[in-house]
Amino acid sequence: MMVAKKKVGMIVSILLVGGALGYLALGNFGENVVYFFTPSEVKAFSTDYYKKKVRVGGMVVEGSMETYPDRLGLTFQLTDGEATIPVTFEGIPPDLFKEGQGAVVEGYWTGEHRFESNLIMAKHSEDYMPIELKRAGVELPRKDFMKSLVE
Amino acid sequence: MIIEIGHFSVVIALVLAVFGIVSSSLALRTRDADWVRAGRMALTLIFILLSVGMAALIYSFLARDFSVHYVATNSNSQLPLFYTIAAVWGGHEGSLLLWVFILSTFSTIAVWLHWRTQPAIMPYLIGMECLVILGFLLLILFLSSPFDRLIPAPPDGKDLNPLLQDPAMVMHPPMLYMGYVGFSIPFSFAMAALLSGRLGEEWIKVTQRWTIFAWVCLTTGILLGGYWAYYELGWGGYWGWDPVENASFMPWLVGTAFLHSVMVQEKRKMFKVWNLFLIIVTFSLSLIGTFLVRSGVLTSVHTFATDPERGLYILIFVTTIIGIAFGALMLRANKLKSQIEMDSMVSRESVFLFNNLFFLVATATVFLGTLYPLMIETWQGAKVTVGPPYYNTVFMPIALGLLFLMGVGPYIPWRKASQASLKKNFLIPVVVGVVSTVVLFVLGIRSLFALTGAFVVGFSGAAIFIDVGKISSLYARRESINLLKGFFSAFTANQRRYSGLVTHVGVLVLVVGIIASTVYQTEKVVSMRVGDEFVMDDYRVKLERIHDVRGKNWSAQEGVFEVYEGDTLLTKLRPQKRVYDASQTPTTESAIYAKNMGHIFLTMPDVSADGVAVARGVINPLILWVWGGGGIMGLGVLLNIFRPRKRDE
Repeated sequence: MMVAKKKVGMIVSILLVGGALGYLALGNFGENVVYFFTPSEVKAFSTDYYKKKVRVGGMVVEGSMETYPDRLGLTFQLTDGEATIPVTFEGIPPDLFKEGQGAVVEGYWTGEHRFESNLIMAKHSEDYMPIELKRAGVELPRKDFMKSLVE
Repeated sequence: MIIEIGHFSVVIALVLAVFGIVSSSLALRTRDADWVRAGRMALTLIFILLSVGMAALIYSFLARDFSVHYVATNSNSQLPLFYTIAAVWGGHEGSLLLWVFILSTFSTIAVWLHWRTQPAIMPYLIGMECLVILGFLLLILFLSSPFDRLIPAPPDGKDLNPLLQDPAMVMHPPMLYMGYVGFSIPFSFAMAALLSGRLGEEWIKVTQRWTIFAWVCLTTGILLGGYWAYYELGWGGYWGWDPVENASFMPWLVGTAFLHSVMVQEKRKMFKVWNLFLIIVTFSLSLIGTFLVRSGVLTSVHTFATDPERGLYILIFVTTIIGIAFGALMLRANKLKSQIEMDSMVSRESVFLFNNLFFLVATATVFLGTLYPLMIETWQGAKVTVGPPYYNTVFMPIALGLLFLMGVGPYIPWRKASQASLKKNFLIPVVVGVVSTVVLFVLGIRSLFALTGAFVVGFSGAAIFIDVGKISSLYARRESINLLKGFFSAFTANQRRYSGLVTHVGVLVLVVGIIASTVYQTEKVVSMRVGDEFVMDDYRVKLERIHDVRGKNWSAQEGVFEVYEGDTLLTKLRPQKRVYDASQTPTTESAIYAKNMGHIFLTMPDVSADGVAVARGVINPLILWVWGGGGIMGLGVLLNIFRPRKRDE
């Protein structure tokens, strides 16, 4: 009798603590998942997506980068070949961020059709191309190019 | 020619790995000791052959033989000698070879070391190790060989990734791999215990030092990685919940649970299935960690171009090992039922139980966050990431809970704690904890993390301090010596216990460093010209000049910043904006000044053509406690490994 009671108490307390921790782990999950989109998809956003943190990957358009005269940050155009979106960025871009290179930006699509970003991740696009394609000199299909940015 | 010798040696090693598996199976079937000896010979030869393979690769790097594809892609004629050696494991082909080389080293040592005392285990140990070695050698030889030629040879190499040209990066991969691979020894002993049906405590006692050795290597590897990220990536933080950091953190979490949990089995013969489960999971996560990093399935600074074939192979290999291990565990589980029930919820057993629960939830959290993007991509085709805030939110309470248990565990009796003993052991620590919280509150600190942290650190720290004080004075009185001598006398007489507590103290120091440097970090980013200055906390930073400097394989613009406290010049910091010659890759090199156990951290991410520099200053209070705490943890482990052997060991 005593043993059974003790066992129940033990199982209950493990479940309680485990449950609380599990809730902690799962309850915080949803809001911290950030989705990745292409500029085309961003342009087609419904109002539900405004003010929602997302990541967008694309190529920084040559000649589109401008810095502010009075404060840190810059504006540039990000393209996936089909659609182009204007991006404003506050802060210091990473070392590898350059015009004509791939970049992933994190931030919010505003109602005014401008992407406000506070994080840029840049990569050498050429390093992320499959070797066979690079050798053959074949232009990457858009989809594969987008994929190469995230992987 | 040299590289072909290496290649050929590794091919023979592969054949011998197959032989090792066959001979140990035959040894089990025929009970013929000659087959075991043959297996030992095979394993030893594998070690020698893989050493030749490693040596050949290192030689090719030093000889700058760019007709070797791997050398050409990972080094350059201008690369300094030190980094040329590190470049051997700078790419994934070479790092896999390093992995299997360390594995063969450890398994050969284990076989010779335990040969006389553990004869019954040997066939299993040799067979299991040869199986893992075989898996890696197949991968190396068929899917990612560092021995391939590149004909015609390019005039010069592509260069090692500039971010990896750093002293911490030289040691980071080997330490990490020694940790991963070190767990293979207790894993193999556990498998031997399962397969042979010798399910007592022996496998745990024999491998205790291996476990803790693996643990300290993994810990050091992780800390080195954090230290590198801290000053080399130039963002002033040391942990970003990057998938690859997570990959190394998961085996660490379960491994830590394991090395605590085995104590319950040693002392109370409980948790038998659980311990086998934990070591299987630890080693599996080590393999999965390698898989995640090396297959390129996750987005990270560490991963390389995706190769689906290689990813698929590693997945099959890892699944095989995990399948065998869990299959064996399931077959034997009924035999492992412990006869001993837990006596009370208020006992050391239950503290260990909750310790394990916390560590496993932590692991599950990291696992979920790291693999969820993969799952979503496979099933829904959408691309997602899980941000650092998720991990931070979940880990804060888990870490604080574990720290609290750390103060309770060593001072609560086995079986059942009476109320009197609880009061005697924990009254003062609770008071100290409350007082530390109140003091911080009065000083104006309002962060919940810092205040709760103060309670658990005060509580656990006081518990350890009282224990050490009591036992030292006991020994001092008993042997009529002074307190300090009493301390050493007590320490050496109970070295296993007190070395563990040294590690715990290290953890406390580390946690104080983490809390202070995350909650009270200040950051400032400014654009400035020569002569301009900016203020950060109590310091004034003035840009004195910008000039060009030249390194062996890079050139840089260097900013000279004067750091003043009041009117006194503290130091001149010289952050650089470098461009590496071969790859034309820019990097941002930080400059650091240590003061009051904290850091003034400065980078200069950009200098425009008309002389405007962007400077970024970060003040990280108590950051030295993070690295210092890591050092104390390591010291504790060394004291544990090199403790005098007791009669029952």
